Amino acid sequence: MLKTDGVTIRFGGLVAVNKVSIHVRKGQITGLIGPNGAGKTTFFNCISGVYKPSEGHVIFDGKEIEGMRPHKINEIGMARTYQVINLFRKMTVQENIMVGMHTRLKSNFWSDMLRLPKQRREEKFVREETEKWMEFVGLQDMADQQAGSLSYGKQRLLEIVRGLASDPKLLLLDEPVAGMNSKEKEEFDALLRRILDLDVTILMIEHDMKLVMGVCDYVYCLEHGTLLAQGVPEEVQNNPDVIAAYLGGDE
Amino acid sequence: MNNLIKSKKLLGCLIAIVIAFLVPTFLGGASYLCLIACFVTIYVIGASGLDVLFGYSGQISMGHAAFYAIGGYGAGLLNKYLGIPMILAMILAAAIAALIGALLAFPASKLKFHFLSLATIAFGEIVYQIVCHSPNRITGDFNGFFSSKLDIFGLKLDTNVKFYYFGVICVILFLVIKQMIVKSGTGRAFVAIRENTQAAEGMGVNVRKYKIIAFAVSAFFVAFAGAMYLGLVGYLHPDMYLQKQSVLFVTMMLFGGSASLAGPIIGAVSIEVLLEGLRTFEEYQMLMYGVLLLIVIIAMPGGIVGAGRDIKSRFLRRKALKQAGKEGQ
Amino acid sequence: MKLFIQLTITGLALGSIYSLIAMGYSLIYKASGLMTFVQGDILTIGAFLGLTFYRFLGLPYIVSVILTMLIAFLIGFLLEKGVIRRLLNRNVMAIYIVLATIAVSYIFQNGAQAIWSSKVEYFPSVFGTDSVTVLGVSVQPESLLCVGASLICMILLHFFMTRTRVGTSMRAAAMDPMAAESCGINVSLNTGLTWGIASGIAAIGGIFIGPMYGVYVTLGSKLGTKGFAGAVMGGYGNMYGAMVGGLVLGLVETLVAGYISSDFKNLFAYIILILFLFVKPTGIFNETAVNDV
Repeated sequence: MLKTDGVTIRFGGLVAVNKVSIHVRKGQITGLIGPNGAGKTTFFNCISGVYKPSEGHVIFDGKEIEGMRPHKINEIGMARTYQVINLFRKMTVQENIMVGMHTRLKSNFWSDMLRLPKQRREEKFVREETEKWMEFVGLQDMADQQAGSLSYGKQRLLEIVRGLASDPKLLLLDEPVAGMNSKEKEEFDALLRRILDLDVTILMIEHDMKLVMGVCDYVYCLEHGTLLAQGVPEEVQNNPDVIAAYLGGDE
Repeated sequence: MNNLIKSKKLLGCLIAIVIAFLVPTFLGGASYLCLIACFVTIYVIGASGLDVLFGYSGQISMGHAAFYAIGGYGAGLLNKYLGIPMILAMILAAAIAALIGALLAFPASKLKFHFLSLATIAFGEIVYQIVCHSPNRITGDFNGFFSSKLDIFGLKLDTNVKFYYFGVICVILFLVIKQMIVKSGTGRAFVAIRENTQAAEGMGVNVRKYKIIAFAVSAFFVAFAGAMYLGLVGYLHPDMYLQKQSVLFVTMMLFGGSASLAGPIIGAVSIEVLLEGLRTFEEYQMLMYGVLLLIVIIAMPGGIVGAGRDIKSRFLRRKALKQAGKEGQ
Repeated sequence: MKLFIQLTITGLALGSIYSLIAMGYSLIYKASGLMTFVQGDILTIGAFLGLTFYRFLGLPYIVSVILTMLIAFLIGFLLEKGVIRRLLNRNVMAIYIVLATIAVSYIFQNGAQAIWSSKVEYFPSVFGTDSVTVLGVSVQPESLLCVGASLICMILLHFFMTRTRVGTSMRAAAMDPMAAESCGINVSLNTGLTWGIASGIAAIGGIFIGPMYGVYVTLGSKLGTKGFAGAVMGGYGNMYGAMVGGLVLGLVETLVAGYISSDFKNLFAYIILILFLFVKPTGIFNETAVNDV
């Protein structure tokens, strides 16, 4: 599904990510762990097109996508969430999801302005779809609330369905349970499973080890921008380098 | 519930339209007051156009007087030298302005607030300078530009009252277009860009494309308003297109409240009436205007619509508290 | 050649005024991340104040300059405290702050008209003679004063910002307000001081330019808008860049007016501004503090 091949990102003289090669397999949940400042989010930004890698390749679904603009990458089937919640705060919950569906819409400026029948049909479809997504994460009662007014955990959920609304093949989650309460966290396992059932592959950055060990099929550990370890969760968990990195790090 | 709100809003619009058509009757056909009403229709279109740009897509322009000029001079020149009927020339000039707006937005779309305002100021000044020192003096430079008043295929709009009805029809048309655009996928993309550009791009919105569309639409609106001005007055002077004209559009849009249908209307009406009212202070007019503007900004940022929403929500909260208090007893 | 020298001196004189305005823009941008539209009209106020002290009240020139500067400093300081800070505390959209500065500029411009007049007032000569000869061309002595005094202002400002306690804490407050606050620096006071200094130097510009262009109410607003071009050219937020940018702008403008046509000088200035914004928004010196790109 997604492969990176020796991806390096430099900012000036600083190497933020150093020759990282990972492989995300279709239908799996792949975890990306590592101490704070290890370069995980930078790496994510590179995959989703925010940064262009200084070296190396990103191959998604058989296509090289490095250097592509983020909106293009979204269009070809990759959606993401953000570490710092990036919702459209003053839009309603439903409108947020509608924006998520943007690339699936065929109507353009002219058909919007002239309200062509095609556009009307599509708007109706968008409404039905978004209602489906709100139910998917239990936000249907908050459809008309402003996204910024939701609780932290609900905002995370909204960000996830906003990403899912674009009907992606791959979903990148950047610390999805940060800020959720314990009940929401418990339900999150099940949500991930239901996302997999939609035929969506997941790559996830997460600090919550319990979650990572519980749901991930494969785990990569990043430290100081380099790949420290990889394997199935148990392997990585018992890897002495990983343990050292976490104990010696600021976790 | 949703339908109820919708029908209420529709009723509000109908009442507003009826009132708008009755204005000349209220004014008793007084020519000068009707002239002011005509200016209001022009400004409503201009301020609404700017609202598409700033209110919805979050891009500022402090140089929209340039498009106002392009609309006015463009329509006049097309009419005078190519013999295109005035009403067509107006639409054509607005289309040209939209194209220029799109060309300007292409590089400007990467600039953020402060630098975008500088770039638009520079653009406004460039257009102003061209109008002042035009090639072959086709704009009449500082002597001004004269043109015949608007007639639509033989229908002469030679009185202010007649022009006013034309103006109201234009306002309705343009506001319908505006609502069609902002209440659709395109409008959602605009607001998404305004709210969070990074996330919008991440959700597949082609940010540059939509920023350009917003610029072109607002240029079209403002340029058409500029062309209407020429049709009404029949005379243009470069000093109408100084930076303070751009600021006036921004003020009207913000005063009523941005990103709304009613905001620019309220803003255009109140600022135009205010400026006319302050004329009694003669040379102190602009001083008073500046003072009032400053007071309004400090007292109610968010404009009249924003202040209204504030009061409403405060009222509702108090009501809810009372309710809760009663239930507590 | 004579024309060239003449134009260069005039250009530098005009450019040094742009530099003073642009420095104010850069100081304020760096200290508070804001853009102000009052600088130009403070220059007008400065020119009128200088005129009042020097011509109407007959005070010595240097006293007039200092008094004007102090009053302008106070105006800038109070503007920040009374308007800008108040709006910032209420977390309003940035556009309202821009609009507030524009409203203040209307008040200054039209207030000046109400207090003084809408005529072009003549600013009496500072020196005994009307012209001096430099490199074989005769120039107005005030244009040399303009260049010289502006340079002195810039140098003094440089030392003030780098060598004094107040200057250092101002720079610290601008660089990282949170860290500065935790070091016991009063950030709010320092931002106020920055606005005060920015107005002070703009007002001085008004006194210097008065003898060359006369004093009238719209004197500053045009200079103020073009000052942006100088500031952007040098890298918005960079005090030294603003000096260079302003001087270059003044030179280009005067040379265009001299060799091509005075009709095009303003056009050129704004084309330079827009090109820099589109092509190299960080300016000649690649200013990294620019966060509006």
